[in-house]
Amino acid sequence: MSDILQIGGQEFGSRLFLGTGKFSSTKAMIESVKASGTELVTVALRRFNRDQAEDDLYGPLAELKNVRLMPNTSGAMNAKEAIRAAMLGRELSKSPIVKLEIHPNPHHLLPDAIETYEAAIELVKQGFIVLPYIPADPVLAKRLEDVGCAAVMPLGAAIGTGKGLSTAGMIKIIIRDANVPVIVDAGLRAPSEAACAMEMGCDAVLVNSAIAAAAHPAAMAAAFKTGVEAGRAARLAGLMPTSEVAVASSPLTSFLSNGDS
Amino acid sequence: MRLTVNGETHEHRGAGTVEALLGELGANQAHTALMVNGNVVPSNDWKTTTLNENDEVEMLVFVGGG
Repeated sequence: MSDILQIGGQEFGSRLFLGTGKFSSTKAMIESVKASGTELVTVALRRFNRDQAEDDLYGPLAELKNVRLMPNTSGAMNAKEAIRAAMLGRELSKSPIVKLEIHPNPHHLLPDAIETYEAAIELVKQGFIVLPYIPADPVLAKRLEDVGCAAVMPLGAAIGTGKGLSTAGMIKIIIRDANVPVIVDAGLRAPSEAACAMEMGCDAVLVNSAIAAAAHPAAMAAAFKTGVEAGRAARLAGLMPTSEVAVASSPLTSFLSNGDS
Repeated sequence: MRLTVNGETHEHRGAGTVEALLGELGANQAHTALMVNGNVVPSNDWKTTTLNENDEVEMLVFVGGG
């Protein structure tokens, strides 16, 4: 059965997106991308440095088949800088997909909702497919959908914390109201959390630290692939309703007591 | 010609175009995005875009990020 995710007119067979940061080496990152089965990876921009040419990921990522690049706007402190970063990223990716992220405070890296909203309006106008990284705020998510964002990416927990789906309640509300894909981005640590997000009705998850900082990144990437697929399959299969009282699975008709008196 | 490239002073000794600067600094053109004084310069325009004294140039590449 084909289960294609559509974002801004682009189609994805995998519902696991990967970040490429924090890996111990480019080799470990590439192996993880392959093991994950992902079709979309995020990349960041940094100043060219002739002495650190090995950090340039353009070449290694271009060799991967069926993997598209989504430049992010990390480092941007406000809407103006994010728009500039998006334009630069598009020059390299040759694609309109951008992960819009504006988180000026390095202590918590939480998204600036106001700057993100303003940048989203302008980037949509310029023809970008905008995927904003946002606090798990149902009102903001709806407003971003209204101005033309192709998806919304609420955080599960702060970037790199591995605190899981701490915002699950809010994400459920976002999912219920959304007409665009909802992608949990940031905070996940375990494949079970990715499965949980998919069971809740998320359309995809974006994972970086949980894979990059695992003892065996490629093996963890494969585990996340399985988790996302299981969660998605469960969502499509339809989870049973919950009940406040026990509902027996085995027949309770008495026969063991027959003949006692 | 004195430029500021990625925040550092650079004395350019070439033809004064963006393309010449990239060649001088050994950047892989296909892997590089570029701004002059805060304006993105598309790669199609690098051959014809001339630099001026004290221009601020940012040259960027893709690196790992989440």
